[in-house]
Amino acid sequence: MSEMALRVPKLPGPGSILASQLRYQLTLLARNPRAIAAGLILPAALLALERGSAQHITMAQAAPKIAGLVALSAVAIAFFTHANGLVVAREEGVLRRWHASPLPSWAYFAGRMLATMAVTAAAGLILVLVAVAMTGVHLTAHAVVGLLVVDMLAALALAAAGTAITTIIPSAQSAQPVLMLTYIPLIVLGGAFGAITSLPHWVNTAMTYLPAQPAIDAASRALQHGTIMSGHDLAVLAGWVVGGLLVSFRFFAWDPHRPGHARPAGASTTLRSAK
Amino acid sequence: MSAIIVKDLVKRYGRFTAVQDVSFEVASGQVTALLGPNGAGKTTTIEILEGFLAPSAGTVEVLGANPRTGGRAWRARIGLVLQTTSLDAQLTVSEALMMFGALYPKPCRIAEVLDLIELASDARTRIGALSGGQRRRVDLGLAIIGQPEMLFLDEPTTGLDPEARRRLWSVIENLTAAGTTVLLTTHYLDEAQYLAQRVIVLANGRVAADATPDELRAMGGVPTIRYRVPSEAAALPPALSMHVGGNVLQMPSADVTADLAMLVGWARENDVDLTGLEVGPPSLEDAYLALTREGELSHV
Repeated sequence: MSEMALRVPKLPGPGSILASQLRYQLTLLARNPRAIAAGLILPAALLALERGSAQHITMAQAAPKIAGLVALSAVAIAFFTHANGLVVAREEGVLRRWHASPLPSWAYFAGRMLATMAVTAAAGLILVLVAVAMTGVHLTAHAVVGLLVVDMLAALALAAAGTAITTIIPSAQSAQPVLMLTYIPLIVLGGAFGAITSLPHWVNTAMTYLPAQPAIDAASRALQHGTIMSGHDLAVLAGWVVGGLLVSFRFFAWDPHRPGHARPAGASTTLRSAK
Repeated sequence: MSAIIVKDLVKRYGRFTAVQDVSFEVASGQVTALLGPNGAGKTTTIEILEGFLAPSAGTVEVLGANPRTGGRAWRARIGLVLQTTSLDAQLTVSEALMMFGALYPKPCRIAEVLDLIELASDARTRIGALSGGQRRRVDLGLAIIGQPEMLFLDEPTTGLDPEARRRLWSVIENLTAAGTTVLLTTHYLDEAQYLAQRVIVLANGRVAADATPDELRAMGGVPTIRYRVPSEAAALPPALSMHVGGNVLQMPSADVTADLAMLVGWARENDVDLTGLEVGPPSLEDAYLALTREGELSHV
């Protein structure tokens, strides 16, 4: 190696880089509130619609509904908005610019996912507080802590899955259709709007291995008992975190999708005249 | 010492060969322009040097390292202006500089960069609200925030109006005066002439010329006599008037002495002032067109 290559500057440490990335991602989320509001307004509106029939109910009755709407919010923010934002950033060349800098890949993902988790947890908390105000159910501090833990783990699993799915989305135009195709079944069949009893057994079984239903179950349990999730729910969500991250680190594209060079040599060699 | 060493570089996309047997070196502190028509292989070459693409064959070394394996420490020593502007529209100019500056061991002061890119008054403006030329200057600011030893500028002024181009040139001039090595790709010959000490012309993925701008001009053929003919002047002799277009005499001359004698004789006879008369090598554009045309013909 030449003399030039031996000059290795001391780079900033992981802590300061991560803090900077977290601040960057939170700034972007704060400056684009409509994307986040979609994950808050729809569940809040559904809560309001339920209000008439949900007054003076117990937490045992309210918890599955509240948990379903918290999960709906989490999927909208941590899966849909997160993945869509990544595809748009990639296609606009923003990711390429980061990739060209000394930013470690892990720091970009970590900053983005931590920001997503924070916003998802805040939205979940707001929804629960709205639900409590509307229904008058009693909420313990344990329940709130349990719910936040579940919501953040679910957000991490959904963000990891969302990052992984961007590897099969070739353009910003195709992001919404692909994400809708996965988002709607995940939410509806997962039970965010209540359990669907007429589904075939194998579909119900499959749903227990996707991230939405374990998140709903765990959130419901946290609201009622203030306890952390079951082993199965934890394993499924952790599995999605690990699987999503592995797929992302292997296949994630930083550069905008470009059509192949299927052209003969010498094609399009036109001169642009100087101004 | 060479900041860039390229040896027998080849890049293929399936059956299409974008770059074929390209070799060159760039000395530290030098500004080199990579010139060529669309599809000549400029961007492919620069993307290989930036580490975005792997070569199909050959070797490249930038600042003593392979760009594909240079890692973070190597990336901290280079700066890039990509072909297209790629910035978060929601960030302010100073926020973007701060975010990127946090990645480098010795970043420039934000205020210093803002002054250099002439955007101090827009420090708190969101990037989405800036004009195309201003965004391009933010791009340049992000490229230099880490005080790079090597700067890649991929068509930095494409799409800018003449005034914005001039402003960006002055920023680049300031940087190069500080000793930064620059590799610039451009379509604009005036840009290459103004900024670069050396020009590498690519045509059809091959090096068609590697020379200083003056040497390149000399490759364009015989010297040229240029003179703006006053509108009220008497008619020029036919041997000269056949080279007049839009009141400007632009005459390639194989015998400058004889042709000038003819012009001076006409001027004396008709009492015409020859102020503004120029005799010089062919224009860079003439040389460039000749070279790229040769490149295309040799490819056929």
